[in-house]
Amino acid sequence: MGEAFVEMKEITKLFAKVVANDRVSLAVGRGEVLALLGENGAGKSTVMKVLYGLYRSDSGKILVEGEEVRIESPRDAMALGIAMIQQHFSLVGPHSVVENVILGNARGVIDARECEEKVRALAVRYGFDLDLRAPVRELPVGVQQKVEILKALYQDARLLIMDEPTAVLTPQESENLMAFIRSYARAGNSVVFITHKLKEVMEVADRIVVMRGGAVHGEKRRSETDEAELASLMIGRELPPLRPPAPAPEGAPVALCLEGVTSVDRGGVERLRSVSLEIREGEILGIAGVSGNGQDELCEAVCGSRPISAGRIAMEGRDLAGVGIRGRIELGLGYVPADRHRDGLVMDMSLAENMILKSSFGAAWRRGPFLDRRRIAVEARKAIEDYSIKAPGPEALAKGLSGGNQQKLVVAREVEACGKVIIFNQPTRGLDLGAIDYVHSTILREKGKGKAVLLVSTELSEIFALSDRIAVMYKGAIMGIHPRDELSMERIGLLMAGVAAVGASGGGPAAGAGRAGA
Amino acid sequence: MKARYLDLFLSVAAAILLGLGASAVVMLFLGKDPIAAYGLLASSVIRDKYTFADIFVKAAPLILTALAFAVPYKASLFNIGAQGQFYIGALVASAASLALGNKVSGAVGLVVVFLAAVAAGGLWGSFVGFAKAKFKANEFLVSMMSTYVALAFMNYLLRTALMETKHEYPQTDSFAQGLWLPLVVGGTRLHLGFVLAVLIALAVWLVIYRTGFGYRVRVVGLNPDAARLAGIDSRATYVATFFIAGALAAAAGFTETNGVQHMLVQGFNPGLGAEGIGIAILANANPIGIVFASILFGALKVGGVIMGQMSGIPASIVEIMEGTVMIFVILSYFARAKLEGSREKRELRRRMAQ
Repeated sequence: MGEAFVEMKEITKLFAKVVANDRVSLAVGRGEVLALLGENGAGKSTVMKVLYGLYRSDSGKILVEGEEVRIESPRDAMALGIAMIQQHFSLVGPHSVVENVILGNARGVIDARECEEKVRALAVRYGFDLDLRAPVRELPVGVQQKVEILKALYQDARLLIMDEPTAVLTPQESENLMAFIRSYARAGNSVVFITHKLKEVMEVADRIVVMRGGAVHGEKRRSETDEAELASLMIGRELPPLRPPAPAPEGAPVALCLEGVTSVDRGGVERLRSVSLEIREGEILGIAGVSGNGQDELCEAVCGSRPISAGRIAMEGRDLAGVGIRGRIELGLGYVPADRHRDGLVMDMSLAENMILKSSFGAAWRRGPFLDRRRIAVEARKAIEDYSIKAPGPEALAKGLSGGNQQKLVVAREVEACGKVIIFNQPTRGLDLGAIDYVHSTILREKGKGKAVLLVSTELSEIFALSDRIAVMYKGAIMGIHPRDELSMERIGLLMAGVAAVGASGGGPAAGAGRAGA
Repeated sequence: MKARYLDLFLSVAAAILLGLGASAVVMLFLGKDPIAAYGLLASSVIRDKYTFADIFVKAAPLILTALAFAVPYKASLFNIGAQGQFYIGALVASAASLALGNKVSGAVGLVVVFLAAVAAGGLWGSFVGFAKAKFKANEFLVSMMSTYVALAFMNYLLRTALMETKHEYPQTDSFAQGLWLPLVVGGTRLHLGFVLAVLIALAVWLVIYRTGFGYRVRVVGLNPDAARLAGIDSRATYVATFFIAGALAAAAGFTETNGVQHMLVQGFNPGLGAEGIGIAILANANPIGIVFASILFGALKVGGVIMGQMSGIPASIVEIMEGTVMIFVILSYFARAKLEGSREKRELRRRMAQ
């Protein structure tokens, strides 16, 4: 490792109900790329937020260049040359790139020209090609990330902490980021790369610290390990093999059908562009794509929360025009939304109350004028058992459950209530492997029962593991719908980046590609 | 769980004591002896049956205006217009009482007057919800300003159609005795209105926590996005909760005109709406808590007036007491959250050590 730049010793951080970090010790050397590997909730981000001064540890110490330091705010961290790029960027949307970059140390009168020159010099040095005067909100996510990096470089950061930096990037953008990280480290700087993706770790890290359950569970040099070993360190057991789903039945009736669905938002931007697709009973259609390319809008249009300006949506042959959200729920449309905190659950309500969220209108839960609380509790207890939700009981508040168990609760409710069609939008985002496995087997079980599943995910492995057919979305349009076996990772990566024309010549049935521009 | 209830009890008690202590400091500045004053306050409210019963007379309208704030608050809406809704209720109750005169009296007459007042207040209130649902108007501002309109209505009618027969004062004639709310304890002013208010509070609790409608109101309040995706129409909720709020505040107008004043006097009980907001927040918008908080404030009001009369301390000190108690009770929520957090951390450390 050479000389350590930063050392963290025996860091313990407690939140009200959980041990987020339990005596975590780690060090980063100069010129080193350290990967902090672990599942969601393993405590990776927490320990780095302690280093960056966002959290204060309950015990333990931090050494920078061998000297003990107190870091009580990001300002302290920055003064020591430590910068962190959060998962969610902290940029001022309407401000230009330059204004964002100089935000941290803009004092007194700002010499705009001088600032711009300094930022330009930095951008050129690291080969970032971007328009310095453009408002940040108009830039693609990958470029916004570069702005965040420039911000750190402008502060003379010598240690760059990146929290899941590739989550929002296309495969190609990820490549560029990796190249930057390598060149930045070669110049004698250090990088901590937080991730749960094994492939990235093997690609860029010099050394790997694996965390599990808030504690360090192993430390390896990249040259001495492989993906399988890291995976077992990460989850404490071997990865379960992916089961190939049973093939979709031929000639089953179409359960959900979209024809030329277009949706224009208030700003006049086309969020959905002539989307056409069909899902048969017992079939899973996977929607792949970089997040923000219309997947959420597609789900919203189907569930009725987003108006469509053209086209037609039909469920089991019935046109849904004029049928509202409640009407579609009553027709048997299930929807597991991407953001369960915002759209799927009422956090301050109990598990039992969350179970009846979509069915409180019906007579099913009523006894006289009142809700039949005993029946609701019985039903909730059944869901807790059937879906192995870890909760003290039906009266436990949703916010007290772990992310995985919250998601199981949403899945349980939607699956139990749904008739023929169910939408899963990012059903496993932020879950640990056990919960992911559970959600996946639930999806396959529902398929087996003859339900039509619309599965949206940015995790290609998930799409490939579950889908019968795969559609790729780019800028609101479907770039083509292919049977799973006819798509390779490379081809799908190109489609996700919007290069259909180049890839299309390579062959492969482009069922819906022709409609993309219509 | 037990520790949490103990926390709740102790922190609220401590907050009330601190609030009284802060007001005592103000009394010291006035050169008065706070201990003697509080002694007087305590002894005066239990001095005789009449005074003690008056606590509940004062509490009745406070329960109702506090509920008028609490119901929309469950849907995350702010009803600042309880005062105006209260005036509308009082106005319609008075007009109905005068119209019925001696023709219809007793239970039937009172029920008719009550329903008229409640319906009018409900419609008045639902306008606020409608403006929010239809035009996305800010319910805080609309409800607040609607109070002034209601006040102007009252002033106008008390100078014209409803003015007393002698045309001297801006007030109505006295209602026929048959339309007075009956007393529940003889020799006091305690009328049926307090019983009514407590029953209404229980009913509101049942509606909010035990029916599908109340459930949906709380869903809209706690997470409007999830409510929308569950097919719950939040606009209907706005109108419905404001209708209920207006009806509740109007019921207070009914209990005050038909139970206490037996006539309508211009601009009476001007602080009822604001006090209701305070009480609702004090009780964390829980209808049962509101009953107790209203009784506490009723006691402060009754005792404060007597304290003012007997010790020369200005009666407005009571308002300072109300204010300081309220501030400390609200601070106690944060203290409790902190206590709970540190208790959980201690527990965690203990388990880690094992």
